[in-house]
Order: sequence, then C-alpha cells, then structure tokens
Amino acid sequence: MRTQLTNDTHWISECHKTDGAHEHVNVYLIEEDDDYLLIDSGSFHDRETIKRKIESETDGQGLDAIILSHSDYPHSGNVSEFRSEWDDVTLIASCGSPRLQGISNAIRCQIGKSMEIIGREFSFIDPPLADRSHTTWIYDHGDNVLYTADGFGNYHGPGECKYTSRDFPRGITAESVYEYHRDSLVWLRYVDPKRLEAAINTIFSEYKVDWVAPVHGNPIAGEDLSAYIADLIDGASRISAEYESRRPDQMQ
Amino acid sequence: MPREILDGFYWIKENGPDRTGMIETEPDSPTWYKEGETVRIPNCAYLLVGDKTLLFDTLSPASGDEILERLNSVLGDRDLNYLVVSHPDVPHAGNTPRILEAYPNATLVAPKYGNGHHLYRLDEGELVGDGDSIDLGGFVVDFHEATFLDAPVSLWMSERTTNTLFPVDWLGFPHLDSECLSLFEEVDTPMTVDRLIEFHGRVMFWYAYVDVPKVKADIDRLIEIHDPDVIAPAHGLVITEDTDVYMDRMKRVVERIHAEGRIGTLG
Repeated sequence: MRTQLTNDTHWISECHKTDGAHEHVNVYLIEEDDDYLLIDSGSFHDRETIKRKIESETDGQGLDAIILSHSDYPHSGNVSEFRSEWDDVTLIASCGSPRLQGISNAIRCQIGKSMEIIGREFSFIDPPLADRSHTTWIYDHGDNVLYTADGFGNYHGPGECKYTSRDFPRGITAESVYEYHRDSLVWLRYVDPKRLEAAINTIFSEYKVDWVAPVHGNPIAGEDLSAYIADLIDGASRISAEYESRRPDQMQ
Repeated sequence: MPREILDGFYWIKENGPDRTGMIETEPDSPTWYKEGETVRIPNCAYLLVGDKTLLFDTLSPASGDEILERLNSVLGDRDLNYLVVSHPDVPHAGNTPRILEAYPNATLVAPKYGNGHHLYRLDEGELVGDGDSIDLGGFVVDFHEATFLDAPVSLWMSERTTNTLFPVDWLGFPHLDSECLSLFEEVDTPMTVDRLIEFHGRVMFWYAYVDVPKVKADIDRLIEIHDPDVIAPAHGLVITEDTDVYMDRMKRVVERIHAEGRIGTLG
C-alpha cells in the first residue's frame, strides 16, 4: 500500500464513517524543489492529523501554497489555520468572491486556464462531475495527476483506507462508485449518461492522466481508469434510471 | 434594514460584490440592464415572526455583523426559536455559529438528506425533510427535499399561511442596485430567459449534462404541487405575482444551458 502516489505527490488519506461505510476526505501534498503545495485543506475534524503529516513530510517546513478545488467545508475547513500555522502560504482558489466563501487573500485561478504555482504548471478544468458552481478540477502537469473533486469518488471498507485502485483485489467496486455518486452528486438523477461520458472522454483525451486523485475516494491508477470510467457511467445510468419522477403526493 | 414583505415575514438581504462584469462581455446590453447600474446577485435570508420565530439561512460570513444587527432590529428582546439552514454552503450557512452564539436557545434545523453532516457540524441539529413541519403560531413551515440543488445536504421550505416557496438556489437571478429589496413586481426590468441564465448557467451548470424532458417534468410537478403565491429565492428578488410563469420559464433556461453549455462560475 502506498501513499506516495508519484515522486512528488503524497496522498494524505483521511476518512470518515458514513452510514457504515468509509468515505475519504483526502488532501494531497506536492513537492517541487523543496516547496510544498497542498491540494485542498481537508476537514476541520482532521486538522491536527493533517498538520502532523504535513510537518512530517516537509521536515517541519510546512506549506508554501494551497489550491482549493472549491470552498466547501470538508475541502476548505483548514485554510485559515494552515495559513496561520505557516507564514506566507499562497492560496489559489477558483471562487470569485472569497469573502462570501469565508476565505481571504486568495489568488483566483480561472477555469479553463493554467497557472504556474511553486514553479509547477497546473491547469484548471471545467468539471463535468461536481456540484458547487466554482468547483475546478486541477491537473498537475508535473506528475500527470488529475484532482477530481467531488467526482470519481467511492466508498470503501475498513482496512481499505490506504488502498489505491491497484491494491483492491478486483479493483474499486462498481457498487461503491455507484453508491458514492448517487449520494454525493444528487443531480445525476437527471443525467444523460452519454453526454456525461462524452465530456469525461474529452478531458481524458486532452490530458495524459497517470493518476486520478479524488478527495472522496481511493486514488485511481492510470491503468485502472478505463474500468473505473465504465463503472462510473454505468452507475450514472443506474442513478438516472432509478429516479422515478415522483408523483406530487410523494414530493409533499 | 430588513423589509417586511408580509405581516411578520421579513426579507434580509446581502447584496454581495459588484457583478456587472458578468454582462460586460456580451455584445448587446441585456434588456434587463440599465446603463450605469451595478449588477448584484444577492444572498437572502428570511425571518418569520409568529408566536415563535424562525430564520431561514444566515447570509455569508462577509455579513456576519449585519445579520446579527438586522435580527436584533426585528426581534428586539424576543428570542430566535429556530435557525433553519437550507444547506451548508458558506453563503447560506456561514454565520450559523455566530447566530447560535447570539441566540443560544435557538434550535438548529438542518436537512436530513445527504450524509456526512458532522463535516458541517449539522449533526447537532434537528434533521428534517419531507413530511416535517413547524408550527410557529401564525406561520406553518413545511420542509421538502430540494429538487434542483448543489449540495447533497439540502432542503427547500414552504410556508402555508402566505403560500410561499423557498427554493433556495433555484430561481435566482441578478438585479440592479436600484432594485435592492424591491419585490420583482415593483421593478420595471423584465425577467427574461437570459436573466435567469446569468444565474443558472453558472450555478446549475449541470443542466448541461441532463436529460431535458426529465427536468421539465419535474418543473411541471413543482408547479402542480406548490403553486406558490410568493417565491422567496436565496439569490434573487422576491416574486409575488405570476410565479407559475417564472417557474415554467425555467424550462427554456434548462434547454438553453443544455444546448449552449455553462456560461461561467459564481461564488
């Protein structure tokens, strides 16, 4: 089992029990020439654990930058504290109104554009699987890792918290992919699966992806992506098919 | 100051930042825009004052002092009995701790839908959904699973006495500075499909990936079920006339976003 996904990318795996299953609330630490960048900041519940792991991985140096996928509490819950803990932590966020989102002094990244951060190029991608308006997927050109909050997640069992897709004997299960997306991206009940598949395929044809790094799932290795995406689209079809437009008396 | 739009029914509003930039890239000025005006997409909270009192949503942390001042200006010595959080997005729920600190007797009411409530500290609240209601004495609110939403932990609300629907992130739209706290019927700018797209083409970007007839069927169902006299959105002006017309107009909004894709982001 590995938490070092690539030479530069370290997966900080945190998870929570949700109705019997486990759900990740991950963050990822990227190193570039002794500078350190965190993708998302995790939940306030995990603040001390994440802080300790960052201290350990950076030999006490701490963070130089944070990129937020979006400013939802499980993703942005530690931004202020981490910026207080380590001086001069640059915050990059896709939201246009940081004060409304409870964060301050953020550099805005534009979805559809790229930026160099700690000497490394990142692209910000319009996510076909997300719920909040200002969510961005983040592509790290240095390690070919695609960060896909809140899509590409799955639930996992006890003992699988530090698995990547390579460690599951039969891969990440289709059922866990379906259940996660059913519960987390509620709008999928209206989805046209073909349209979603086309949008996902466009992204993966444009970017070489060695790892997909979800916030709410186990990381997916490049060789496992085809199977995962097939399960994801099947899951989306199932979510949509199961949503019976309910009768008025059932919606009261 | 809050506006009392009906007896005991107060509208509390945060204008948010200047959004004029969202229309400056368009080749023609929108028909709903007046030259020189500033465009806003507000955050709204609603306060119901009956025998008991209830606040629906909290505004963003940028207006933490303001929401407390406005609550105090209406409630005075009265207590806040219920704080209902529609969903845990920061512009809706960001002042929950401050309000509960100021009104420690208030019951936190939160959506029962979705999971991971502890990640938002909503697990300490009373979780409600379809079939649940609160009688405030003078007002009765009913809770509903949100139909069109972003966060999975989401809730819509309606109020029986005034026949108001609170559709949260649905039916939002930009307004002009001069229209602040005006009912939509009091302004002279039109509710065009383009105007609705300025909001939904950013917030409900996922309409780009949907089966349009399925969404339209649910819009019809919402009109049939609720048939509201008042629509009190979280991100637009309060509507008190022709509500079914505007709900129905959302079908064209969905068609357009589906055909043309999202137009940007908001937040």
